[in-house]
Amino acid sequence: MATEILLIDKDNSHADALGVYLERQQFEVYKAGSPDEAITFFDNLSMDIVLADPGLPDTDTAHLLKQIKGSHPGIQLIIMCTDDSLDQAMDLLKQDVVHYLVKPVKSAALDLALKQARTWITMNKKVQRYEKKYKDLRNAQTLYQQLFDEVPCYISVQDREFRLTATNRMFKRDFGDEIGSYCYEVYKHRGSPCRNCPVAATFEDGLPHPTEEIVTSKSGKHYNVLTWTAPIRNTEGEVTQVMEMSTNITLLRQLQDHLTSLGLMIGSMSHGVKGMLTALDGGIYQLETGLARQDEKRTAKAFEQVKQMTGRIRKMVLEILYYAKSRELSYKSVDISRMAEKVFGDAKAIADKNGVVLKADIADDLGLVEVDTNWMQAALVNFMENAVDACTYDQSKQDHIVDFTVFNQGNDRICFIIEDNGMGMERETREKMFTLFFTSKGSQGTGLGLFIANRVIQQHGGTIKVTSEPQKGTRFQICLPRKKPENPVRVDDPGKWANNLIDSPGKGKS
Amino acid sequence: MKKILIVDDDPNIVDYLVTFFEDNGYATCSANNAQDGFEVAKKEVPDLITLDLEMPGEWGPRLYRKISEEKSLKNIPVVVITGFSGSEHAIGKAVASLTKPFDRDELLAIVKESI
Repeated sequence: MATEILLIDKDNSHADALGVYLERQQFEVYKAGSPDEAITFFDNLSMDIVLADPGLPDTDTAHLLKQIKGSHPGIQLIIMCTDDSLDQAMDLLKQDVVHYLVKPVKSAALDLALKQARTWITMNKKVQRYEKKYKDLRNAQTLYQQLFDEVPCYISVQDREFRLTATNRMFKRDFGDEIGSYCYEVYKHRGSPCRNCPVAATFEDGLPHPTEEIVTSKSGKHYNVLTWTAPIRNTEGEVTQVMEMSTNITLLRQLQDHLTSLGLMIGSMSHGVKGMLTALDGGIYQLETGLARQDEKRTAKAFEQVKQMTGRIRKMVLEILYYAKSRELSYKSVDISRMAEKVFGDAKAIADKNGVVLKADIADDLGLVEVDTNWMQAALVNFMENAVDACTYDQSKQDHIVDFTVFNQGNDRICFIIEDNGMGMERETREKMFTLFFTSKGSQGTGLGLFIANRVIQQHGGTIKVTSEPQKGTRFQICLPRKKPENPVRVDDPGKWANNLIDSPGKGKS
Repeated sequence: MKKILIVDDDPNIVDYLVTFFEDNGYATCSANNAQDGFEVAKKEVPDLITLDLEMPGEWGPRLYRKISEEKSLKNIPVVVITGFSGSEHAIGKAVASLTKPFDRDELLAIVKESI
């Protein structure tokens, strides 16, 4: 596009001569004889250069030019004036002008002025382009910083020594704002780099590497994270840093663990359930035939069996429900002496049936304790039942006793002791007894009872102490705080982390 | 009177089968583990055996092998009654395999057909 130039000159013939000269040099030339006439051009056209004789000492044109330069800073202004008005022109227009020419204008001087004006125009355009690019860049940078910060993942950038050089907001929130510290320190509380580090692998081959890790937050919480790495390269294409992006999948893993063990439980229990259903069938058959034959003895026996089977199935279903459901306890303040008596009553029925003597030592005024009555009762009955079973299975002696003692330990704890002189436990049984699905009772046990009882006690913030000797007997001491725990106690399945914790947290420097 | 040996570790199920067979005109004897099962079988020489597969100590299949290796017992028909599904392959030569909880009429039909 040709450069557009506006000539402002009252002297028409001079303007015409200049116009011809300029057109010959490929300028698109417009002419104005007065300031008023000149204004119209700026309303409709975009001039590149204004070549003007301000017509001094009248200052109208000079003021117009100042105004135009103010609103169109890109326009290059060249002033032509007589030698004696040059000072006034310079005084009025100062640095708004790219060049001052003295009339009569010499072509060499005009060419130089135009060349300069054009150079300015080109440079101005360049600067404008750069300015726009710079602005875009700044916007993009802000956007990336925002993305970096707001991504719902832990992002860190690390150098070859695994030092953190940048971290995003979520990372800072859970792991602290410690630029310059080592990744393995911050994530794993270790003193040395981890084995099979995906960041090291990416430095090695420049490719992304995935891994699943268990990391420890600054508040000591364990998180399962799914991690991907990506190389950051310099302009030569060398990997200078590695970005590590970790998604917190703790909830997902917890759910998965829960579903896995639930499935495992259903599988391992189906055999027991089938046995119970068959025995229930047997009870019903004998009840039916007993009634039909008016055989009272058979009917009574059958009824007892149906009752027993229904009780066992009920217990198992409740255990499954407890395990399948989220275990929020509902605390109530209860008179612990009354609750202990109720537990004793339930256990007594079972003990009597098995010919085991059950003795209780429960003080009358043990006071109030905050517990979830249903689950605490079930847990205690479970310990008592186990004690009775331990006696029933013991062939080495004739007389079997289970002692149930309840007492206050200081002002803020209540203790239950359940002691039997039954078969006792070998070390293996002792170590595994709270493990899910572990049972020493063959097809009679589900492996859920003590597992759940243990969880219930732990959830209440209580402790269990076990001493046992084979053939001599077993003693369980259960202590509970009188008040419910301030923060809910999260109980992890035993061995849940075991597979993943080759690099166990807490062993490192911190 | 034909005699049936019941081998199962659950006393309730043994009781059920004893009552059921006796109600239907069979004599019974029972054992609640594999070792006893073999002893009782040798002593009583029953006409049919019902066998549970999973029991504490020796399992059902081993008892079956011992029986089939014993000259006086090897022709006794065996009915497997177990909590395992897919148990028909555990003892291939059993006359039938029932899964707990079983249909007692089906069991009776199998027994009548076998002896």
